[in-house]
Amino acid sequence: MADIEITEAADPGVSRRNFIKGVIAAGAAVGSANYMFRGAGSMFAQATTPGAVERLITITVNGQQRRVDIMRQETLATTLRYKLGLTGTKIGCDRSECGACTVLIDEVPHYACSILTHSVRGRSVRTIEGLAAEDGTLHPVQQAVVSEQGFQCAFCMSGYVMAAVGYLQDNPNPTRADLAHGLSGNLCRCADYNKILNTMEQAAENMRQA
Amino acid sequence: MAVIRDMMPAFELFQPATVEDAAALLREHGEQAWVMAGGLDSFDWFKDRVKRPSVVVDLGGVDALKGIESTADGLEIGAMTPLTDVVRHPDIRERYGLLQQAAELVASPQIRNQGTIGGNNSQDTRCWYYRDGWTCYRADGNICYADTPTSMNREHAIFGADRCVAVNPSDTAPALVALDAQMVVQTAGGERLMDAADYFIGPSIDITRMTILEPGDLLTAIRIPSTWAGATFYFEKVRDRQVWDFPLVNVATALRVSGSTIEDARVAVNGVAPYPMRLTAVEDALRGGSRDEATAERAGDLAVRGARALRHNGYKIPLMRNLVKRSIRAEA
Amino acid sequence: MNFLTWGTDPWGQEVLIRISWDLLYVASVLGILFVGAHAVWLAFFVQEEAEAVDEAALAGVPEKVARHSLASRVFHWVMAAAMLALLLTGFLPVIGIQFPWVTIHWVAGVVLTLSVIYHTIHATFWLGLSAMLVGPKDISDAVSRFKRSIGQDAPAPRKHGKYPLENRLYHHAITLTGGLVIVTGILMMFRIDTPLWARDPYIFTDPTWGMIYVVHGLSAVSLVTLVIAHIYFGIRPEKRWITWSMVWGWIDRRHYVEHHDPEQWAARSEGSSGQR
Ligand SMILES: Cc1cc2nc3c(=O)[nH]c(=O)nc-3n(C[C@H](O)[C@H](O)[C@H](O)COP(=O)(O)OP(=O)(O)OC[C@H]3O[C@@H](n4cnc5c(N)ncnc54)[C@H](O)[C@@H]3O)c2cc1C
Ligand code: HEM
Ligand code: FES
Ligand code: FES
Repeated sequence: MADIEITEAADPGVSRRNFIKGVIAAGAAVGSANYMFRGAGSMFAQATTPGAVERLITITVNGQQRRVDIMRQETLATTLRYKLGLTGTKIGCDRSECGACTVLIDEVPHYACSILTHSVRGRSVRTIEGLAAEDGTLHPVQQAVVSEQGFQCAFCMSGYVMAAVGYLQDNPNPTRADLAHGLSGNLCRCADYNKILNTMEQAAENMRQA
Repeated sequence: MAVIRDMMPAFELFQPATVEDAAALLREHGEQAWVMAGGLDSFDWFKDRVKRPSVVVDLGGVDALKGIESTADGLEIGAMTPLTDVVRHPDIRERYGLLQQAAELVASPQIRNQGTIGGNNSQDTRCWYYRDGWTCYRADGNICYADTPTSMNREHAIFGADRCVAVNPSDTAPALVALDAQMVVQTAGGERLMDAADYFIGPSIDITRMTILEPGDLLTAIRIPSTWAGATFYFEKVRDRQVWDFPLVNVATALRVSGSTIEDARVAVNGVAPYPMRLTAVEDALRGGSRDEATAERAGDLAVRGARALRHNGYKIPLMRNLVKRSIRAEA
Repeated sequence: MNFLTWGTDPWGQEVLIRISWDLLYVASVLGILFVGAHAVWLAFFVQEEAEAVDEAALAGVPEKVARHSLASRVFHWVMAAAMLALLLTGFLPVIGIQFPWVTIHWVAGVVLTLSVIYHTIHATFWLGLSAMLVGPKDISDAVSRFKRSIGQDAPAPRKHGKYPLENRLYHHAITLTGGLVIVTGILMMFRIDTPLWARDPYIFTDPTWGMIYVVHGLSAVSLVTLVIAHIYFGIRPEKRWITWSMVWGWIDRRHYVEHHDPEQWAARSEGSSGQR
């Protein structure tokens, strides 16, 4: 403690932490100078441009760290389905207009078709595959789907379930109207919305009891 | 336009962490660069291959642009604050309910979770001729496909058109205009502060842009003064479906009422012009009047004075008149 | 640099939109280069040939020789104002100075059109077109004048008629470009909304419109070059008497005798009847 104070008194412009950072940065500059002089100029430039992104990244999906090789323009839905094999997430419209691709990002529902995979680095993604417990016990919302037989073809189902999980975690006691509003970002082509709402009322009940 | 194609075309992506880095990247890449907030407007353009920037600067990592803070005179909302956070913020709920109501009616829950207040106010028009990638005026062409003898223009403008008849589609924009909000814009020459009403521009000034932002500029924050805190608010949006759909017409009204006298008023409407339209003539007429049916009636009539319908959007005139009227009529 | 701007029509085909605005810069640079080159040429290469004024000839000429009637002068300045307004409203937005330009533009366009129609009728039936014609003798005079100006031997040219050859050629260039910009501009008023007629962009096919926009643009940028040159000559000291004649209507006797050939342009006194 005492010597930090002395350092700061001696040079108020450079805190100890910044000084250490500076030393590390200088080291990095020396190290990367090797690259530069080997002729990989553009690589060097990219690595140091603030905000530049890398191809190989780690994302957290359903509690697991997954290392993936992705393109800049890749959407999360594409990565989940075609890189990670998590095909429970559906792609309906690919235009944020149907909700089939809904997943939770930090427990908040998002359309996976309309977010870049690069944007979920450092956040935690939950898909329909990540709902059931280790031992196979279904999530309360999933249980309601089974008990109420809420869906027909069920293409929209995983999106609805994820939207409902996100919504019910924040609003445990919704009215039917609240539920309709909370789940309004999902469409069902078979269009049995009444049955879906019955299911979700049951799901809310299940969650309250769980 | 739900044509599913394999992927968006490639672009270089940057995810800077500070406004300075973002601004530097935008300066460096100039017209090639695209600012991305929540991306919900942007991705449609990219997926449809209508706009093909080679560089995308994603502001998602710029934490300084997120969040809502109380200031000496009201609130400052970071441009990157998601609409859901705007809806849920207690201060906005209690004192600036107009904005809360407007934000709550945007698109769908998932879109509100990701779409930002900055993006919502900077979004491009929804004219489908333009969105389909035809080279109309707005795309630097020389024709408006939406105003021809055969156009489908049910959603288009009744005011403020100049060659292009597209409208501003934002729900939160008229609320900001009615609250006398100010936009904080970071330009190459430094920070500029402007009234929300001046942030939006019409085609007579620049037919290719909806806002005053030039390439390289950033909207950093929106300031809401306490002028209208706790006033009597009215927001109504009319749309075809109760979710996802953009406003055909929406109205945002703020009234200061004492007894039955209207002391001051702000009325703004969107979906009728290329910019959210503040109805100053209506406001002037309201000031000092009593809040009753006759005043509301007069306000409605005044609101649509000078409106010019296209072939298929004549209904917008009575719709706008009635919305303005309703927004002033005393609520039972 | 591009010459043309292309877009996509509803059928996915490439369609011509307009010229490329790169040409605006080309035209401006050409205008400025011309002015610079001409100024240098006059200052360093032309040998002044002192034209002796025959004092005796002065006697028979009125003190103020009428040159432009009031009507002609009014036309000229109305046209100039309209032209300047059109250039500014047309091109300031192109170079990034944004303002609501379209209404001012088409109104100025209509003013220009009306004034040109008036001028055409006036010139055809009252002024006569002969003052503007260019014949073989004019060409040989021009050649002699050029040779003499650089110190070579050549027969002495006639003096000028009412308008020197350059003026006549300039006028023809303006007639061409101005005519094109007017005809295309009037057609383009079907693309925008004016009280004059209903907007209908489908009176022509897209490619035809493309051509119309290209012609409007090409003539418009040519006018930039021409107007730069015109203003330059208008303010050059040794030409200022011509410019003033467009204000007051007359030139003085000395200039008349010095520069003009009475056989081609008989002097009339300012204020006398039959002034043109
Ligand atoms: C299916 C659908 C339905 C919708 N319905 C509605 C509706 O009913 N009402 C409504 O109001 N909106 C609606 N929207 C629009 C949606 O709300 C907006 O697209 C969203 O709010 C934009 O926010 P974003 O952060 O996703 O924007 P982005 O897509 O990231 O950005 C939009 C535009 O603004 C620019 N931009 C964004 N932030 C900044 C900044 N800070 N500085 C400079 N430029 C910036 C971007 O460059 C881009 O051009 C809908 C969208 C979709 C896809
Ligand atoms: C000096 C003469 C003129 C100049 C320099 C000029 C220049 C221009 C320019 C640069 C444009 C933009 C064209 C484009 O976007 O491709 C334009 C458009 C236009 N001009 Fe002119 N113009 C002139 C004369 C006229 C005249 C005489 C008229 C009409 C009588 C006219 C009517 C128009 C109209 C209606 C447009 C708008 C077309 C549109 O936006 O689609 N112009 N002009
Ligand atoms: S696939 Fe994402 S919303 Fe339809
Ligand atoms: S059950 Fe078939 S789409 Fe919803």
